[in-house]
Amino acid sequence: MFQLASVEHLDLNMNWSLININIGLDLACKLFYVTMASFAVGSVVRRCGRLAGGAARLSTSARALGGDGMPAIIERHGKREVIGYGYNGQPNYIDRVDYPIPAVRFKEETPQIKALREKEKGDWKNLTKEEVQELYRATFCRTFAEIQAPTGEWKLALGGTLIACSLAIWVYIWMKLFVYDKMPATITDPQRVEAQVQRMIDLRMNPVQGVASNWDYEKGQWKN
Amino acid sequence: MIRNAFSRALVAGRAGFLQVAPQSASVAGCRHMSKVAESDEQLTARYVQYFESKDIDHWWLSKHINDLAGTDAVPEPDIIKACLHACRRLNDIAMAVRFMEIVHFKCGNRVKEIYPYVLQEVGPTLNELGIPTPEELGMDKPQLALEDVYDM
Repeated sequence: MFQLASVEHLDLNMNWSLININIGLDLACKLFYVTMASFAVGSVVRRCGRLAGGAARLSTSARALGGDGMPAIIERHGKREVIGYGYNGQPNYIDRVDYPIPAVRFKEETPQIKALREKEKGDWKNLTKEEVQELYRATFCRTFAEIQAPTGEWKLALGGTLIACSLAIWVYIWMKLFVYDKMPATITDPQRVEAQVQRMIDLRMNPVQGVASNWDYEKGQWKN
Repeated sequence: MIRNAFSRALVAGRAGFLQVAPQSASVAGCRHMSKVAESDEQLTARYVQYFESKDIDHWWLSKHINDLAGTDAVPEPDIIKACLHACRRLNDIAMAVRFMEIVHFKCGNRVKEIYPYVLQEVGPTLNELGIPTPEELGMDKPQLALEDVYDM
């Protein structure tokens, strides 16, 4: 039988800040999980249905049922010149940095563009910079710089996530005020807590790394 | 390809960092891992031959440019020159400017090292054909903004 600590009530010098920190950690853990959940929801809502990079999608062809019930391809690229295979074989236009030349030109041929194309057949040194840009924009919608330009979407995602977090915190405050009972006396009453800690020391609970490891049994006081 | 030229020029310890996927996976959508890997010189020669063919049309031009854009490398100056001449034969300066933008994009995060070299090699051809670089046209910064469909 090992010698228990003295039966007298020892001065345990309770550290109330530690107890409050424990309760605070519990609250923090709950908020952490709520934050992570709302962040996931926020980013899923933002990403749902979005094409990466916000590409300009101008669908120019769609499958529909023809008169005889077989799928018919409706080509909606209008009078735009087809210049290639495209990224999926359909005559559509899309700005992609990994597939930069789409299947069709961007604009239909107007008389102005037709005139420029005639001039293009001659020496390119005769084209002014504005004319080159005009011809470029006739074939392509956006330059690489414009495709890769930042959209600022991260602000919307972050703001939405933080709003969701704050709503979660409001809900927790409401729960604390109106739903949860008061903390029981076994936690709040100082005398009861001291008695519980005394019992932990007497029973040498968690003697390696826990409560009893911080108690110096020879001297009968807390280790520092 | 340019990446190997630079890797030889660098210290041996850094050469490994530049290694990219095997050459056999270079053509987009066409992986032949069981075949012998094609060397850089063979790929360069192949694409130069494609672009130099006299009866190239827009379909093949855009196919080869898109394949080059899909490779994990910067096109050699020989390929770039051949492509620019092909654009000239097809009377399409928009393609030529777009191709220069593609080359700039393929330089990735080493654009400050590689792109000046490319311009230095290809500059005479650009001047001869009268093709302005995207920087001269102001296209290295965004000029127009496109409204996102989700914001409409």
